[in-house]
Amino acid sequence: MVTPPHGAWLVFAAAWPLLVMLLVIVMGRHHAARLALLSMPVGLAVAILIAAAVLPAGTPLVYHVGGWLPPLGIGLQADGISALMLLTTAGVICGAGLYARADFASLPGAPETRRSLVFWVLLLAVWSAMNLVVLSRDLFNLYVALELLTFAAVPLVCLDGRAETLAAALRYLVFALLGSVLYLLGAVLLYGSYGTLDIALLAARVQPEHATWLAAALMTAGLLAKTALFPLHLWLPPAHAGAPAAASAVLSALVVKGSFVLVIRLWFEVMPGLWSLSATQFLGALGAAAIFYGSIMALRQQRLKLMIAYSTVGQIGYLFLVFPLAFDLASQQLQAGIALTGGMLQLVSHAFAKAGMFLAAGLVAVSLGHDRVADLGGLARRLPISLFAFGLAGVSLVGLPPSGGFAAKWLLLSVALDTGQWWWAVVLVLGGLLTGGYLVLVLVRAMEPPAAPLAEARPVARWREMIALALSLCALLLGLVALGPLELPPMIVTGALPGVAP
Amino acid sequence: MNGSAASWLLLATWALPLLLLLAGLSAALRRRLPSLLWLAPVPGLAAAVFALSAPALEIGAGPLRLLFALDRPGALLLGTAALLWMAAGGYASSYMRSSSHLGRFAGCWLLAMSGCLGIFVAADLVSLYAMLAMLTLGASGLVIHEQTPRAWRSGVIYLMLALLAESLLLAGLVLLAGEIPGDSLAISDAAAALEVSPRRNLILALIVAGFGTKAGLVPVHFWMPLAHAAAPVPASAVLSGAVVKAGIIGLIRFLPGSLALPEWGLLLAVIGFVTAFYGVLFGLTQRHPKAVLAYSSVSQMGVVAAVLGVGLAAGDDSAGVAAAFYASHHVLVKGALFLSVGVIAYTAAARRAAVLVPAGLLCLGLGGLPLTGGSLAKYAVKGQFDTGLVAWLAAASAVGTTLLMLHFLRRLARFEADPAKTAAPAGMNLPWLVMAVAALLLPWLLYPAMSLGAAGAALAPAALWKALWPVAIGAGLAFALRGWLERLPRVPEGDIAQGIDPAARAVARWGRAFDRLDEGVRLWPVATLSLLLVVIAFGVALFQS
Repeated sequence: MVTPPHGAWLVFAAAWPLLVMLLVIVMGRHHAARLALLSMPVGLAVAILIAAAVLPAGTPLVYHVGGWLPPLGIGLQADGISALMLLTTAGVICGAGLYARADFASLPGAPETRRSLVFWVLLLAVWSAMNLVVLSRDLFNLYVALELLTFAAVPLVCLDGRAETLAAALRYLVFALLGSVLYLLGAVLLYGSYGTLDIALLAARVQPEHATWLAAALMTAGLLAKTALFPLHLWLPPAHAGAPAAASAVLSALVVKGSFVLVIRLWFEVMPGLWSLSATQFLGALGAAAIFYGSIMALRQQRLKLMIAYSTVGQIGYLFLVFPLAFDLASQQLQAGIALTGGMLQLVSHAFAKAGMFLAAGLVAVSLGHDRVADLGGLARRLPISLFAFGLAGVSLVGLPPSGGFAAKWLLLSVALDTGQWWWAVVLVLGGLLTGGYLVLVLVRAMEPPAAPLAEARPVARWREMIALALSLCALLLGLVALGPLELPPMIVTGALPGVAP
Repeated sequence: MNGSAASWLLLATWALPLLLLLAGLSAALRRRLPSLLWLAPVPGLAAAVFALSAPALEIGAGPLRLLFALDRPGALLLGTAALLWMAAGGYASSYMRSSSHLGRFAGCWLLAMSGCLGIFVAADLVSLYAMLAMLTLGASGLVIHEQTPRAWRSGVIYLMLALLAESLLLAGLVLLAGEIPGDSLAISDAAAALEVSPRRNLILALIVAGFGTKAGLVPVHFWMPLAHAAAPVPASAVLSGAVVKAGIIGLIRFLPGSLALPEWGLLLAVIGFVTAFYGVLFGLTQRHPKAVLAYSSVSQMGVVAAVLGVGLAAGDDSAGVAAAFYASHHVLVKGALFLSVGVIAYTAAARRAAVLVPAGLLCLGLGGLPLTGGSLAKYAVKGQFDTGLVAWLAAASAVGTTLLMLHFLRRLARFEADPAKTAAPAGMNLPWLVMAVAALLLPWLLYPAMSLGAAGAALAPAALWKALWPVAIGAGLAFALRGWLERLPRVPEGDIAQGIDPAARAVARWGRAFDRLDEGVRLWPVATLSLLLVVIAFGVALFQS
């Protein structure tokens, strides 16, 4: 078969961060930050090239490693979801990396620290794993990529080595492993029944029978545990709140989305016809519970970073509203339509907004020496740009125009009302109100005059504030993409792909 | 001015305040902002004059493209609101001179102005919603500005109620967008689609509730007295004069024009008249002149809603322009009167007549005193308030308004002056006088300009008499009841808002329950059990299929 042009870029996208990571390990600590940062424009450029090849045309890029076709060979494929995820990942990682230069660069002459080397290695590993997760087309391959992602993400939580963060990281690791076990069990069941784990081949072979049902339930639950969907979120708040700011941004913006993309692949691509109305409604109900629960808990938090972490618990809920909204009653199938586009838009805008928010919160903590919400008074004077970045990110989370969050909410709302599922519309609207509540709480405190004269402010570099602002602006301006002539392409291309044997 | 240049004025109307706001990110420019506030609404005023018949301005090409245009109700409200924002902006730079946090005040001011003026030119659902959001954020900042506990409470109640209204509107607008044929999101197409929509009642309920809250109709009126009394004087003026009109223009644009909906019309008219009398009744119990004015605004917005309701019941498509004309007079007169409260506080008792006489004229004008702009506003809605019970209710509301406004005048005369001041600075006197003159005279120019008819008809003897007697009775009542009014028990500003604090405490108790719940859910055994239950739940859901 003829591989379409640019197919090899897919391999490069997944391998490049990994290669640089190895080089960083070899070259040692002094060069870690510089090497990682130098490699980032290349990674970003590849993501942009792939997106430019996939998004306007709406046709996927496919590459079969070594020319071997599935089920023997391993295929990589970039569709709409992959392209969006590659761009988002590259954008957030580059932002977080630049920002982290101040925290994790080992200065010449200064004593070397292990943690600066480890940070850059892990950041590159997360990047590679994320790219692999969104490009792979084989459930076992995906399992490996997901494990790589987990093992890169967990140590990011406990970089500072405090007992508290070590406990959080351990909690994260153990629960994520529970999820992996369930996923693997499901994958084994599928392989035993159908003799393949390739997504396209499986989709053609799956039958509605006990083994498939059990596998689907196990894999879904395992992935939900890794995505921290309520009530499986026990690990997320301490892990995301305890990590260094740049790591929190990557964890909250990207890592939880990796397993979510897998849920999408499993539900929409492997077995779109297997799900019942009750299964999709149940998944949506978990999402709705997450929205209310996460937002209310965010309102209750006394610490800024914990508030943002609980906000992630809530915002993840919106992603799962896609499933009931995409379920077509007539054909009893999940259909990749406006609902999925809205969900992906929500995913991307949340990624940028949350990254901007965590980075801004990190600067707040640096400047004030604490992140107690009650004592944020005077912040508006001290860090106006950081607060502005926080506010703009908030505009997207609440779903006010022109943000990406608004466009996403608009699409999801319109599907909910068109299909008569008004209860999800109520959830979307109330969720926005609650989100507005906890964000206003922070902004209002930050604009109050300080209760006591502020201690000597620790200076914060202007360029770091600008990075937080740039990420928030990405989330805000994402909505304008919908204003342009660019029609969002189909997220998923189903049906036989070139070169795939029926 | 040619058409396309005029179209760009529609953009500049809301973009210039926004650009000035962005300029405020630089500390050097931020210090100059307060003195530039009066300039920001100039494009809005120019747009109201020049852009009425200009072609619509379209930005973007996708399904969510933005559209800006001006119709007659929009032009009336935009012009008067821009004038008020200018006058109040100039007033603010003098009034707020010694206040702290001037930069923040200017920022909130510009954000609210951009949203407020933008609403009048927004011609598609998305930009309308965006403008509402900007308006809400900016206006809340203005309410909270003084940062007293009272200001905080008022600001938070305002913000929550406004966000609730916007949520209702979002649901209504998205539903409506689904009914529009093609991919247009223009408000005009939406309004046309609403008339024939099978889900008309649901959409109308959401839209009336959303814009009704924004306009301060009973029972969601209580944010108005709270917010308008708490904000600094120039901010109260724009909040009460211009900002509440966002709700009115929304109702005008979305309610069906020539389609008669008797039930909806009756409902809106009843809400309107109840609001009109409720505002008078509770306004009379107030002592602070700004609180009295705020309740008067509640009452006047009730009258406008009643005009729209009667028009809707009859399928009378002239009701929109008539209501906008009435409301645009209210922009001018209420803006002027709020500014007078700040002026009087700076004026020694001996010199107060120079403020009280024009203020008195404006007060009687709001009741409909012949030859004032107010009498023309009342004349403009004669088509709706012509006959039968409605005519009597309208006359009774004019009596009530006169009574309430004279109560305001008395409270204004007795308002405590700053002992250190003898006369208000020119920076405050000038805007107040400009607004007073505009309120008295401008309606006479606008009436023919909006092709509502010849203004001279309002001077016919029968029309004069019809306008005069309610004012005379109101004035008589005010004189007769003057002692009794002083003894009325004082109802706290925002009347039913008193119920919010206990409710908030109850919610806080629920919040603590959530904390305990989270500790439970995040225990290892519970979380692992949840994981198992999720597996079982999906298994069961799939086996059943």
